[in-house]
Amino acid sequence: MSRRDVIALAGAAAVHGAPAFAQRSAMPVIGYLGSETPEAYASRLDAFREGLAETGYIAGRDVSIAFRWAEGQYQRLPALAAELAGLQVSVIVAPGGAEVALAAKSVTATIPIVFEMGGDPVALGVVASLSRPGGNLTGVSSLSVEASSKRLEFMRELLPTARLLAAAVNPSSPTSKLQAANLQAAADSLGVRLRFLTASNEQEFDGVFAGAQQMQAGGIVFTSDPYFAYRSKRLAELAVQYGMPAITQARDFPAAGGLMSYGGDFRQSHRHTGVYAGRILKGEKPADLPVQRVTKVELFINLKAARELGTPFPPSLLSSADMVIE
Amino acid sequence: MPGLNAVADPVPAPRTSLFAKYFIALFAAVVVPLLVAGGSEAWFGYRDQRARLNDLLEAEARSAGARIQDYIEGIQDQLQWTVQLPWSASADERRRLDALRLLRQVPAVVSLTLVDAVGKERLFVSRIGLNRVEGGEDHSASPAVIGARANGVWFGPVTFHGGSEPFMTIAIAGNRSAVGVVLAEINLKFIWEVISAIRVGRTGEAFVLDQPGRLVAHPDISLVLRADAAATRPLQALRAGILARSGEAVAGRDTGGNTVLAAMAQIPGLDWSVIVKQPVTEALGPIYAALWRTGTLLVVGAALALLFAYLLAQHMIGPIRLLEDGVARIGAGQFDHRIDLATGDEFERVATRFNEMASELAVSQERSERIGRLKRFLAPQVAELVDRTGDAHVLDSRRVEVVVVFCDLRGFTAFSAQTEPETVMDVLSAYYDSLESIVSAHGATLTNFSGDGMMILVNAPVPCPDPALRAVTMACDMQTSVQKLMVGWRALDDRLGFGVGLAMGPATVGRIGSRGRLDYTAIGNVVNLASRLCSSADDFEILIDRVAAEAVGSSLPLVELEARTLKGFEEPVPVFAIGLGQIDA
Repeated sequence: MSRRDVIALAGAAAVHGAPAFAQRSAMPVIGYLGSETPEAYASRLDAFREGLAETGYIAGRDVSIAFRWAEGQYQRLPALAAELAGLQVSVIVAPGGAEVALAAKSVTATIPIVFEMGGDPVALGVVASLSRPGGNLTGVSSLSVEASSKRLEFMRELLPTARLLAAAVNPSSPTSKLQAANLQAAADSLGVRLRFLTASNEQEFDGVFAGAQQMQAGGIVFTSDPYFAYRSKRLAELAVQYGMPAITQARDFPAAGGLMSYGGDFRQSHRHTGVYAGRILKGEKPADLPVQRVTKVELFINLKAARELGTPFPPSLLSSADMVIE
Repeated sequence: MPGLNAVADPVPAPRTSLFAKYFIALFAAVVVPLLVAGGSEAWFGYRDQRARLNDLLEAEARSAGARIQDYIEGIQDQLQWTVQLPWSASADERRRLDALRLLRQVPAVVSLTLVDAVGKERLFVSRIGLNRVEGGEDHSASPAVIGARANGVWFGPVTFHGGSEPFMTIAIAGNRSAVGVVLAEINLKFIWEVISAIRVGRTGEAFVLDQPGRLVAHPDISLVLRADAAATRPLQALRAGILARSGEAVAGRDTGGNTVLAAMAQIPGLDWSVIVKQPVTEALGPIYAALWRTGTLLVVGAALALLFAYLLAQHMIGPIRLLEDGVARIGAGQFDHRIDLATGDEFERVATRFNEMASELAVSQERSERIGRLKRFLAPQVAELVDRTGDAHVLDSRRVEVVVVFCDLRGFTAFSAQTEPETVMDVLSAYYDSLESIVSAHGATLTNFSGDGMMILVNAPVPCPDPALRAVTMACDMQTSVQKLMVGWRALDDRLGFGVGLAMGPATVGRIGSRGRLDYTAIGNVVNLASRLCSSADDFEILIDRVAAEAVGSSLPLVELEARTLKGFEEPVPVFAIGLGQIDA
């Protein structure tokens, strides 16, 4: 047993609060850094475990996972990441955005880190290059951030007569400025006025909808942001409450009663994260694993919500939709 | 016993053991055919398997190539639908919906650009970028449009977005220039689903290289995304190897350094090489398995040969040791030793023969010992006789009808007194030599001699037919022989003469004497009578008693002489003589 295993054993014992059984001593430990709560991550965790299982690791049987949850308080991420680094886990999985990846990156230069995020990992300074991430980081990038202006296009398609649309931005997100600029450019080319509303915590969500209603915006386009994505249910409730057409990045939003969503398939991205974590457990170097970009961008629409809002989907949206919720 | 020492005598150890011989024989019988069969099986199997593998891999390569081609052609077919109708002056909503539907149906298409007959962009739809209608950008000079117009289909070079993700543009022109051209940007990562589904054998896989040798598709997508020329060099080397052998399957190394067999199929138009590879260990698995089988059989065969050789040798060596030991003991004179073998085979027979031999040897030795013992104390003549007949029982005392012959020299006492002893000895020596040879020639037994006299028995201890006639004939021979010698002796002393007397009658014959010296002799009246007749005989004369004469009958001309008064006999005894003329004859 190497020194690393001993520490992993100690870590596993600490996590489970149970005596270190001989069986556990052989089990590698994954440190999982989540920005929210286990509930918010539930579907993503399933996808992650699927990916892990593809490489032959069943959580609890071949590998144990030490979880650290920031519960929406992103400033806690570095401290939680440091805790995982202190456990000397075999690999840190940091899904849910650039903040999580950067928090993990800040605490260790040796423990492999697998991230999952929506933006461009090179532009956000997480890795030096996609093909050759270098160092101890690699991961998966979805196309959600790039697709945010597409969301404006779909909203415009739905509401061709609207003169004003609102865009919701989380100013604390590292990609907010880029997305805002892209949205503005898209609005210009689409010939629609755009007003930005900000929300960086849950309490400000209500204000976004109220603000949009107040300015008589036709609808709200949410920028890609994990904070928003993990609170799709709340956003859907507010959209219904305010009778406001809205589009976000996450499929959870139309599923919870929202109008539509367009963004990268997070199931795919989290599954890939699981695959990479498994491959690293098998001994591959993160530096040899290129950053994977999710290929799938999906449009979800909710017909019921559209009916209630009195905004029937045009044929172009119907034919583009990957999933139509009746 | 001296026999025990003889057994322990060092017999030189054999140069090779029976075990080694059996082992060599069995090894040759078992392992050599196996080796030959296994070796030839492996060699021909290898050649066949290699040829079959080549065919198999080439078929797999063609099949893999067809699947990649099908995939690309599937995209082409979908794109074909967008270039069916000629462009009208205004934007075409239906066409936009078709394009959007195509994006949904073909995930690999990232964006679509539709240009009209003059090369102007009329519609652009994308998954990420904003859609454009009537963008108006001029594509007439782009190689894609020119290429598609010239050949119907144009495939762009593979480009790696962000230095990582492989993309390619496909342009398709309608069958009329009025319908324009469609340009589709394809994310080649989607080929992964096709390529990773291809399995060659159990662990073999396929990959795709584009014309410059960049990896376009591989079951390990991270190899593709690395877009690392150095890492893909082994794969390029594989392709070069296949090309060098004009498309035949070759052995080489893959990125993991494993030795693989690879075959290739080219996709026309795209100039891509679809290469399938299978680890040599798997591909030649059946051969290795056959070799293992042969090896195992060889080991088992050798072990069996060893075992059987050992068992056989043990089986043989036991009886052989027993025989060897037994023969050594018997050879050392331990004739009562018996070789106890019940193997039921030839060994037992040999042992039985040895045992028989031993018992016969014992009998013969016992006899020769007895004779040897007898010879110590018997007169040599009698001993000789016993030796000849092989039975000492002939010497046992019994009463038989015998003919007793006595003879002696006349005037010998005076002769020996006045003659040199050496001369006397010479005379006696010649005399006895002559008589002894006659006695033995007639099968008679010289029982006693003293000085010049001699007693001879006929019909004892060895019985013979017609003893009287035999005795008389012998007496005649003796007379003749001695008389010839007499011719020389008379010069020394003219008083020398030779007389014989014989009588027939019952007598007790047998061994007589002390422990140190035994004689065979006859006791009875007949002996006295013969002795008296001899004393009474003159030179040249053979005197015969009535019994013998009657027994001879008319076989020889006998002359009855005047009855003589003999010492020890109250009545005159009738005496017969054989005519002198007979003797001379």
